[in-house]
Amino acid sequence: MTDENLKFVIVGHVDHGKSTLIGRLLFDTNSLPEGKIEEIKQLCESLGKDIEFGYIMDHLEEERDQGITIDTAQTFFSTEKRDYVIIDAPGHVEFVKNMISGASQAEAAVLIVDAEEGVKEQTKRHAYILGMLGLSQVIVVINKMDLVDFDRERFEAVNSDLMEFLININIKPSYVIPISAKNGDFIASKTATMDWYDGPTVLEALDAFRTKENANKKPMRFVVQDVYSFDKRIIAGRVESGIIRKGDMIKVLPTGEKTRVKSVEEYLRNVTEAEAGKSVGITTEDKLFIDRGNVIVSDGDMPAVTNRIKANVFWMDRTPFKKGESLHFRCATQEVNCEIEKISRVINSSTLELINEDANEINNREVASIIIKTDKPVVVENFNKMEELGRFVLGREDTCAGGIITELE
Amino acid sequence: MIVLAIDALEYTLVEEFNCTNLKQKFYGKTNITEFSQPRTMVLWSSFMTGKNMEKEILAKGDKEMWNTRIELKDTFFSRFADPKIIDLPGFNYLKEQHEQERMLLKNYFDAQNIDEKNKIRTEYNNLAFEHHRKVKKEFTETLNSKHDFVLGYFSVADVVGHLNFGNRIMMKMIYKDLDEIAGTIKDSFIVLSDHGMEKVGIFGDHSNYGFWSTDFEDIGSPKITDFARIIKY
Repeated sequence: MTDENLKFVIVGHVDHGKSTLIGRLLFDTNSLPEGKIEEIKQLCESLGKDIEFGYIMDHLEEERDQGITIDTAQTFFSTEKRDYVIIDAPGHVEFVKNMISGASQAEAAVLIVDAEEGVKEQTKRHAYILGMLGLSQVIVVINKMDLVDFDRERFEAVNSDLMEFLININIKPSYVIPISAKNGDFIASKTATMDWYDGPTVLEALDAFRTKENANKKPMRFVVQDVYSFDKRIIAGRVESGIIRKGDMIKVLPTGEKTRVKSVEEYLRNVTEAEAGKSVGITTEDKLFIDRGNVIVSDGDMPAVTNRIKANVFWMDRTPFKKGESLHFRCATQEVNCEIEKISRVINSSTLELINEDANEINNREVASIIIKTDKPVVVENFNKMEELGRFVLGREDTCAGGIITELE
Repeated sequence: MIVLAIDALEYTLVEEFNCTNLKQKFYGKTNITEFSQPRTMVLWSSFMTGKNMEKEILAKGDKEMWNTRIELKDTFFSRFADPKIIDLPGFNYLKEQHEQERMLLKNYFDAQNIDEKNKIRTEYNNLAFEHHRKVKKEFTETLNSKHDFVLGYFSVADVVGHLNFGNRIMMKMIYKDLDEIAGTIKDSFIVLSDHGMEKVGIFGDHSNYGFWSTDFEDIGSPKITDFARIIKY
């Protein structure tokens, strides 16, 4: 097994079997606490039923509520190849928020569709979000095949319906797998129920995915969270990408002032460098004015410092946006006020129908191509080049939209 | 007309577990504030007679009240030509079953050590679930019969809830099972509980309102005695 793990999210319509699939993945990989599955099995039998794997998620949620599980939003299992982290996505709003904030970045996604019910509006909306967020490693699972007598024609019909939509949003699933999460067909093992299918199981398909490019290999970006003055002046922040080292020549953005890293400070540890993902402090040779929201980069490397940004946003607030309204723009630790200067296109996220061009408002669950004007310069990058500084949220008191930067002006 | 009579079906859990079949089109809480306490025997007796039976039932004393057997002619069921009532307290419930449950409940609270308590809890739960399966089977079979009125009384949420209401998974599984039962009913039906249940640590105690739902009328906040009038024949 490698030391890398792969984070993935399971999305789809609320009743299409996400919890059952997660329960089954945990069961089939022996990742459940001892005794718990027996308790659930016994309860199901008491009610005269076969075991329902969806209740495993209830058990995990209960443990989280009681503080038994430390992590609040992630579930783990392992195959022989590597460890996996399933990121909880109870709804598309939470999912987008997590993805955009970087709190729980998925590297792959499983899109689940009920074989009996077929593609629903929510299925399309979730698929659209996957596309918008640049998730290219996607498995489609057509679940509940047991309810349609494992019928190949039904599988093909649902598959064809879904593909028609996915092609339009540039998602090419790596695999489309017929499964029954309830019975365990084609999750961890192949069964005789669908001898017409000769592709991989869900676990085999996941194992074939790549983990994300190691963020240490990307250009260095250190976002400043705070500045503390003790006996020395410590600039606290998070290394979003690359590695920051003692002695590095650095540039502070948006001012562009240069200095050298005097020390890298980590609590109770003597270090000279910090890699991507680490929250550390640094001191600098020169005393520059540095504040929360600044971005420190290597000298000679330059993300955009701009106040005009082209972006795609997914609006997820019941109160529509109306042109002229001022919003908060948050990217990493940067927070400024902004206006939406132009709403070039608004489209329905589930039907992909063009709703309006050069529009004046964006409604709940609509996706829009916009131009944002911030009241102060911000340090940002194209999402396809550097995700960490390429995603942002827009908010009033709460977050109301998430987006990715498509072009810089 | 079909009545799904569920003891201690708690409004907040029906919402929390999103039991869409139990909720139907219209649903809400019943008003049982006219009663001094939410007592099962008092409430179901009042339901079937259409009048407040608290004084009469309490006069029998704690033990004797469980032997209450109201005659068909004194209930609104008599308006129907061929009613079928399954296991309703105060009418025809299986006395031995409920006596055994009450005895185990008493033994549980009298038990001195945790092992003994756990053993009694398991026995108690098994007894309640076994009875639930029997009632479910009888109710399902009756749905296919020609009775013009069917009432199925399900005690599992109350009986299991008393010792396990703090066990969220167990309660969710019970509520989802009851929801599935409601989902199998093809004709117009009413869901009614005598009272709900509130959490007291791991245990459950009766709450001061019941639950109702229909697919034909929003009846607001009815009294349990109103159903004798609401249920048409």
